[in-house]
Amino acid sequence: MTHAPFTRAGFGRGFRMGLAIAMPILAYGLAFGLVAAQAGLGTGWSLAFSATVFSGSAQLAAISVLQAGHATLWTMAATVLVMNARYLLFSATLQPWLSQAGPARALPSLLLLGDANWIATMRAISEGEEDRAYLAGTGVAPLVTWLAGTLAGVVFGSILPDPRALGADLMLPAFAAAMMAVMVRSRASLIPVAVGAAAALAVSHVAGTGWGIVAAGVAGAGLAALTARPEGGTA
Amino acid sequence: MNPPLPSTLPAMLAVAAGAAIACRFAGYLAMRYLPPSHRLNAALRATPLAVMSGITAMALAAGGLTEALALGAAVALSALTRNDVGAAMGGVAVAALLRALGM
Repeated sequence: MTHAPFTRAGFGRGFRMGLAIAMPILAYGLAFGLVAAQAGLGTGWSLAFSATVFSGSAQLAAISVLQAGHATLWTMAATVLVMNARYLLFSATLQPWLSQAGPARALPSLLLLGDANWIATMRAISEGEEDRAYLAGTGVAPLVTWLAGTLAGVVFGSILPDPRALGADLMLPAFAAAMMAVMVRSRASLIPVAVGAAAALAVSHVAGTGWGIVAAGVAGAGLAALTARPEGGTA
Repeated sequence: MNPPLPSTLPAMLAVAAGAAIACRFAGYLAMRYLPPSHRLNAALRATPLAVMSGITAMALAAGGLTEALALGAAVALSALTRNDVGAAMGGVAVAALLRALGM
């Protein structure tokens, strides 16, 4: 089997997109570093945690379990699985495209997967991006700033800027909204938009934002699958 | 005061890391067992839009006027300029500005 392109040029295109994603992640890295330091984690463990989990929501939840004194191997695993269930959906939707690069390139690329760079990569795929190194490229700058932010948060925690004042809390929604506006190309594509919003609002009320994302994706995908016409129809 | 860190902290962090990696791999690996079909293709095409819309809707529901203006600016700039990254930055700038003004 011949592999799909996986080149430095594609990585570079992804990397440039990742630079835009990375800025607000620095602010969240600072916030995580501060919380980790308050929990007594220390620089080494905080950085190791950020490098391997690479998910702000899951890391903050795990630290709060630690701080509450409820941490066991089971509660830590369950917390991360619940917070990151949306990554199942993200990696599933990437598979038909990414698997053509072969597992040795696809699986390491998935370690760099996050909310914003998944959105950016799906958007690039819809525009015809063929180079599978794009995904890994989008993840590098966010990972570097996540680690830099974590380190700075642990060391200089008390002199943080407030991420909210900088608007960093709105970067992911703004990204999602702006890319959605470009990707809606027909009246039919408004159906997943409406279904996703309704499902996210209904579920996030009771189960939080992470499950709201899962609900949006599953509802949008489910309705599209049920109403799909045999190939040739456009959605 | 926080309770003292458990002595099993390294094992706990390793389990957390393993769970995070499992989430990233599991969806990808599971897709091998789904036979390709037009229904699967339609589902895959719809998912990103549904998720983007869900993220936007949740931020609007959790926020107030400032957040609505910021995200509205992001959508409008994106539709007008077709530059989605610049539009997102513009939306964030609107939020930062309004908050600096005390909104």
